[in-house]
Amino acid sequence: MNKILEIVLLAIGVAAIVVISYWLGQQAYSWMPPAATAEARHVDDLFSFLVALGVFVFLTVIGTIVYSIITCRTTKNDYTEGHPARGNGKLEFLWTAIPTVLVLWIAYQSYSIYQQLDIEGLGTIMDSSASLASQPALATTVIQPTSQPIEEIEVLAKQWVWTFRYPQKKIATGELHLPKNRRVRLVFQSEDVIHGFYVPEFRFKQDIIPNHTLDFTFTPLREGKYKLHDSQFSGTYFALMEADVYVDSPEAYSQWLKSTNGNTMKLNLAAAEHAQKPQQLIKSNWHAVEPYLPLVATEVKSKN
Amino acid sequence: MESSLDKSRSHQVYLETGGKREQDKSNVLFGFTVFLLSESMVFVSFFLTYTILRLTTINWLPPGVSGPELSTPIIINTVVLLSSSVVIYLAERALKRHNLWLFRVLWLTTSAMGAYFLAGTLREWRSLDFGLLTGLVGATFYLLTGFHGLHVSAGIFLQMLMLVRSFVPGNYNRGHYGVTAISLFWHFVDVIWVILFSLLYLWRA
Amino acid sequence: MTINPNITSVSNSEVRQELNWKRYFSFNTDHKVIGIQYLVTTFIFFLIGGVLSMIVRGELITPKSDLVDRTLYNGLFTLHGTVMIFLWIIPSQVGLANYLIPLMIGAKDMAFPKLNAIAFWIIPFGGIFLLSSFLLPSGTAQAGWWSYPPVSIQNPSGYPINGETIWLLSIILLGISSIMGGVNFVTTIVRMRAPGMTAFRMPIFVWTVLSAQLLQLFCLPVLTGAAIMLFFDLSFGTNFFKPALGGDPVLYQHLFWFYSHPAVYVMVLPAFGVFSEIIPAFTRNPLFGYRSVAVASLGITVVSIFVWVHHMFASGTPSWMRILFMFSTMLVGVPTGIKVFAWTATIWKSKLHLDTPMLFALGGVIMFVIGGITGIMLGAVAFDLHVNNTYFVVGHFHYIVYNTITMAIFAAIYFWFPKMTGRMCHEGWGKIHFWLTFIGANLTFFPMLPLGLQGMVRRVSSYDPQYAGYNILASLGAFLLGMATLPFIANIVASWLNGARAANNPWHATGLEWTTASPPPLENFAKIPTVTLAPYSYGQPQYSTVDTSDEEALRRHGN
Repeated sequence: MNKILEIVLLAIGVAAIVVISYWLGQQAYSWMPPAATAEARHVDDLFSFLVALGVFVFLTVIGTIVYSIITCRTTKNDYTEGHPARGNGKLEFLWTAIPTVLVLWIAYQSYSIYQQLDIEGLGTIMDSSASLASQPALATTVIQPTSQPIEEIEVLAKQWVWTFRYPQKKIATGELHLPKNRRVRLVFQSEDVIHGFYVPEFRFKQDIIPNHTLDFTFTPLREGKYKLHDSQFSGTYFALMEADVYVDSPEAYSQWLKSTNGNTMKLNLAAAEHAQKPQQLIKSNWHAVEPYLPLVATEVKSKN
Repeated sequence: MESSLDKSRSHQVYLETGGKREQDKSNVLFGFTVFLLSESMVFVSFFLTYTILRLTTINWLPPGVSGPELSTPIIINTVVLLSSSVVIYLAERALKRHNLWLFRVLWLTTSAMGAYFLAGTLREWRSLDFGLLTGLVGATFYLLTGFHGLHVSAGIFLQMLMLVRSFVPGNYNRGHYGVTAISLFWHFVDVIWVILFSLLYLWRA
Repeated sequence: MTINPNITSVSNSEVRQELNWKRYFSFNTDHKVIGIQYLVTTFIFFLIGGVLSMIVRGELITPKSDLVDRTLYNGLFTLHGTVMIFLWIIPSQVGLANYLIPLMIGAKDMAFPKLNAIAFWIIPFGGIFLLSSFLLPSGTAQAGWWSYPPVSIQNPSGYPINGETIWLLSIILLGISSIMGGVNFVTTIVRMRAPGMTAFRMPIFVWTVLSAQLLQLFCLPVLTGAAIMLFFDLSFGTNFFKPALGGDPVLYQHLFWFYSHPAVYVMVLPAFGVFSEIIPAFTRNPLFGYRSVAVASLGITVVSIFVWVHHMFASGTPSWMRILFMFSTMLVGVPTGIKVFAWTATIWKSKLHLDTPMLFALGGVIMFVIGGITGIMLGAVAFDLHVNNTYFVVGHFHYIVYNTITMAIFAAIYFWFPKMTGRMCHEGWGKIHFWLTFIGANLTFFPMLPLGLQGMVRRVSSYDPQYAGYNILASLGAFLLGMATLPFIANIVASWLNGARAANNPWHATGLEWTTASPPPLENFAKIPTVTLAPYSYGQPQYSTVDTSDEEALRRHGN
């Protein structure tokens, strides 16, 4: 009778853990910032999967420990042995084999989602149009990306300011505008130290390494204003290296491209802060690298 | 109770002798081998850096620089260093046969050969048409040969130490682990040189 | 039993009392003195690192940069990380191992006592040297503890001696100390075990220290090599890692993480060892699956050498590399999982005692599960590209380094304190310390996980107001954690001076260290013991019956 009760209780426990894990896995979508690219949705699926699995493992282990803490307490001077089992070959095999399968499953899931993202490592600008043709669109339900040419934008990082160049239009700006529902390729360059391109809503990050041209292709899907942040520590004013990112409707985008004349350089926060006396309570007055003053916009104009 | 008395007595002795204690000398050789294996990883990091940089750099040799080139003095240098490994082995064998004077002569010969190698390296450095700051070729070359030269110098220094100690009476009563360890170190330095030599001189672009 | 060490230990320690404290300030070669020197010295560095982190959290309690200027902030988090890793986590566990390994394997001392003392004395000097860079006009190193070039070798001050120079030299110096320690531990464990102490009779702590030190010996020299080259770039103008002149900054990252990822296992393995000693003692069960736990330690060592690129998924690494290292990273979870399951199974159907060491061990295991799961998540490339370099990573690794490893060090100090000092710690204060630490640690580090998911980048001194809420929680938690060390210090000092006398084996634990006096005499054992039992033989009658000679001590302790 007791044994049946035990099994029933165990089954209820496992069922509860499964339900909670599934539920938290679904909740996980809301813990992330809004998904603004086609790729972001895949990443969120992966995250949800990881959370569900993680919660399941956590609750199983912690549940066992907490159950034991509640039921196994003994009196202070009882130093006799609890139970003599030194191990159990079958059990040990199971808890080696199951996690192995589990982590390989996670790795496989992560791999297949990674394959769906068009994350390129070292830049291969030449053959990426070919690879695009061979790799059918990510979010086929939403857009037909092959029908339109890829919009290519150059991203330039310098201590501590972002500059964006639109080669076809020969303009450079301090804010990034992207067309909705079109594939965009960002080509990254840095002139001094390693920086990182990170917009949380886009769910990807790419270090920008001086003297290496790297690129990344993706499809913005959600209109709005986002914030780009430098994600690789780049020195004194690292925290100020931000820029606004806009995902525009195709009409608004072409409108912006026409109207902008390169004068949208944002206020350079680092240079502004560097120019004035430090406002903080405790001042060390240690040396800082001189922030770069962007003159790119006018340069580009005069050159062409 | 007796054991505890013994213990406090040995404790007293310990305090009086300033913490000196016999240690198992044979551990020295084991520990030293472990150390050498670990030390070789520093070289591995340098070798890998050199190899990767050389494979990925487009203009490995800056204009007007020919890089380190295989020449007769370097080959002689290499032969001297490698044969010193044989000499140190013979020295060790002489010591095992309790032929102390032959050991000293061979041991000193090893050091002299090492010193000749070092002098050769310095000569080569002076004759080269590039310096430490001449691109990656200069930086890696001087780092590798310099770090190896440092090890050769350390080896010679330790050999001198052992030579002096060989005159201490009763020095080898409890074995000669120090000599074996330094001989091991010398072979290690030689093996490193073989790899270095192949990377720097035999690898042609 | 012929020896009655209880009486002799008291008289011995009375004799030694006045000699003792002076010995701790001298070049002493006794492994027990060195062990305590390590623990006390590194704890002082822990407090210094803690103060640095509390200033960092003070800055982050508001979104604006208003407490310390930007250069100082960068110096603070750089030195916080460096001090905590190279002067607290790693050397404090070396201290524990120093004290315990010879006792646990039945040896008189370490293999090379003099080398041991030299290795220790490098630590305080290296540490003071590192911290002295606060006094330089150009300030400390400011590039984070990774010290990635080119940002780390930008030298706006122009001075040849700057914070980064000192940082690199300290790292090389402390590395030399670690290599000395590694040679010493490996030699001691391989060659100096008591008769009968076969490999599969060694306590897990010995296994984990052996595994950790093998990793040190294999990987640390690569960091030293990288530091030497970075030093050349910084001071002599070479260009190994300068992209503008053809060098390769990503190569530095590879060399750095080749050591610094395994370093995490160097740090966590001895902590696993501590858990594996304490949990059986307070559950009265043999460690479940002892052999697989022992082998898993070596398994972690081997696999962890091949996972370093998971720190560099965003560094422009090629896809094949990302995928390969994702799979290897996932596989590290397996031997680690084996350990967690073994501890859980040991607690199952046990006779549980919840003394302070056990509380810290249980707390550590529970929080390690969170750290481990978030670690596996980070191994998944596509997810990592979102949270890489955000507070999610900061939260994850603090769950490991603080909530697991530091908890394990506290557990170890409470557990072996009676052995080290011959006195018991105060239970009540110990429990207060535990609850403050447990709550403080979760309050500090859990909010970092959602912050990272929301996209807050690490190493910033100012941030968008949307992140303010969780940052306030984390900062308050950090201050609580700072306060939580006060009862610990009070407890340790008061108990050391005036605690109840400890019996030789107050916890009725197995292990050779408990068969000798508390504190152990010089050269540890009256006679080198012969080992005949498997470890953790809690079924043996001598562990389950209460030794009458201990009764006096038991009565004074706690109740």
